[in-house]
Amino acid sequence: MPGKTLSPWTLSWFGSAMIALVLALVLALALDIGPGGFDRPEALAVVHLFALGWLAQVMLGALVQFVPVLAARPLAHARLALPALLAVSCGTLALAGGFLGLNGLATLRPFFLLGPALLGAGFAMLTVMILATLVTRQTLRLAEVRMVMLALVGLAGLWLSGVAMVLTLEGSGVVVDLSQALPLHLLFGIGGFLTVAAFGVSYKLFAMFLIAPEGASWQRHAVFALAALMAGLLLGGLALLAAGGRVMPVLIGVSAVSVAGCGLYLHDVRRLWRARRRPVPEVNMAWSRVALGFLALAVLLMPLAVLQGGALAEAGVFAALVGWLSTLTLSQMIRITAFLTWIQVFAPLIGRRKVPLVQQLTQPRRAAWALALWSLSAGAAALCLLAGAHVGFRLALGGLLIAALLILSELVAIRSLSHLPKSERPARLPPLILPVFLKPSLQTETQR
Amino acid sequence: MTDPRDGLLQALRGVVDPETGRDLMAMGMIYEARLSGGFAQVTMTTTSRGCPLTEMLRQGVEAAVLAVPGIDRAEVCLTWDPPWTPDRMEAQAF
Repeated sequence: MPGKTLSPWTLSWFGSAMIALVLALVLALALDIGPGGFDRPEALAVVHLFALGWLAQVMLGALVQFVPVLAARPLAHARLALPALLAVSCGTLALAGGFLGLNGLATLRPFFLLGPALLGAGFAMLTVMILATLVTRQTLRLAEVRMVMLALVGLAGLWLSGVAMVLTLEGSGVVVDLSQALPLHLLFGIGGFLTVAAFGVSYKLFAMFLIAPEGASWQRHAVFALAALMAGLLLGGLALLAAGGRVMPVLIGVSAVSVAGCGLYLHDVRRLWRARRRPVPEVNMAWSRVALGFLALAVLLMPLAVLQGGALAEAGVFAALVGWLSTLTLSQMIRITAFLTWIQVFAPLIGRRKVPLVQQLTQPRRAAWALALWSLSAGAAALCLLAGAHVGFRLALGGLLIAALLILSELVAIRSLSHLPKSERPARLPPLILPVFLKPSLQTETQR
Repeated sequence: MTDPRDGLLQALRGVVDPETGRDLMAMGMIYEARLSGGFAQVTMTTTSRGCPLTEMLRQGVEAAVLAVPGIDRAEVCLTWDPPWTPDRMEAQAF
């Protein structure tokens, strides 16, 4: 069946994530969030809207699309994709509302417990879909597949540490030391889940986009081994937290393992880059290089952030979430959206008539300008956090918002096929974010 | 009238990989193409076994081959043994 390995809900995940990104940036500006103020309830609401609503949703949506490509078979339990999306997006909104409830908005307080419950349900459904698709004898030997599975351990740790913190703040029977739980929660989310998942996905995507040999290297297996060690250390830290112990030794161990793991990953990506057959990398890969630079910056700041906290920790977390993970995601999202749109509209016409190339659905210069503004603003904001420059940080946030809106408009243009001559557009455009199940009617209209 | 064998190869050159803009022959994705009477048999691959375009490319090759005058039946099979690597691309592809 054509397109059997395609998940129809990916663009819905992307759309929901883009809305969360814009909303988080607007609220960050409106609520005057800046250096030294990230422990305020409204700042925590915005941070979770960004980390869960934007980054986690876009990563989970990408995994739902990408796991069938890795496993070369259709997504298992595909019917869970929509309920999982609804649970994660509503859970994120409820959690953000709950944080605002801590600031005296009593009507929002009940949402504080509802958020983790919905998020847990959504994460559980996604875990079932991903594991049931990935676990085969053939796929388990691939380091990138094992990395995606390991990222689910990070996701579980992120959720468990978050639930413990919410229950503590709610004054329930569970009490953990929040100052000990916070760094673990951050490392589970940024390192254990998002970065390990990004590593696993990027190995395959980078090789495809660069036209480079896919063969596994010793570095790739070593990156997986170090990521597994990091997950083990973090789980040990969770046990220590439950027992009322100090987690600093765990954090130092995780920092050392992360520096080594990221160094090996960057070395391996450099090897792929040099072995590429595509002479001029496309805009998504050019700006992924900038994201990799932010990864190096964030992981170098990590040991200092663990030991000193404060501005160093804020800058390190910002460089990781906004510089590394968001720049990578935004760059690749433009390309993946163009590819999925192309498949929906033009794939049924292959071999039957001349069709445009995937690249023709995008406007690379426009995308490059937006990604440049995003990257410059991310770098400037991280520097302002280090320097404690409030006005500069808010100016940089404004830059990030403009860049996000430009990228959003480019994504809408891609979905609307606006960059193609009118003669090459189909009579009926695919829906913006709702699924298309490759209906024959759409194919017929395109052929006319 | 064009020889059906030339037509078969021309048809395969006319099917373009939408990611690279190169035809499937230049990409090294056509492993074998045979013609016996009006029956064409093509063995092809994709750059990755899990590529979402796999079946659509196979159907596209089948449609292109069947459009060649003198060919009335076509069988297009997919294989990933041996797997595709960039070394299979024609030297002039990029």
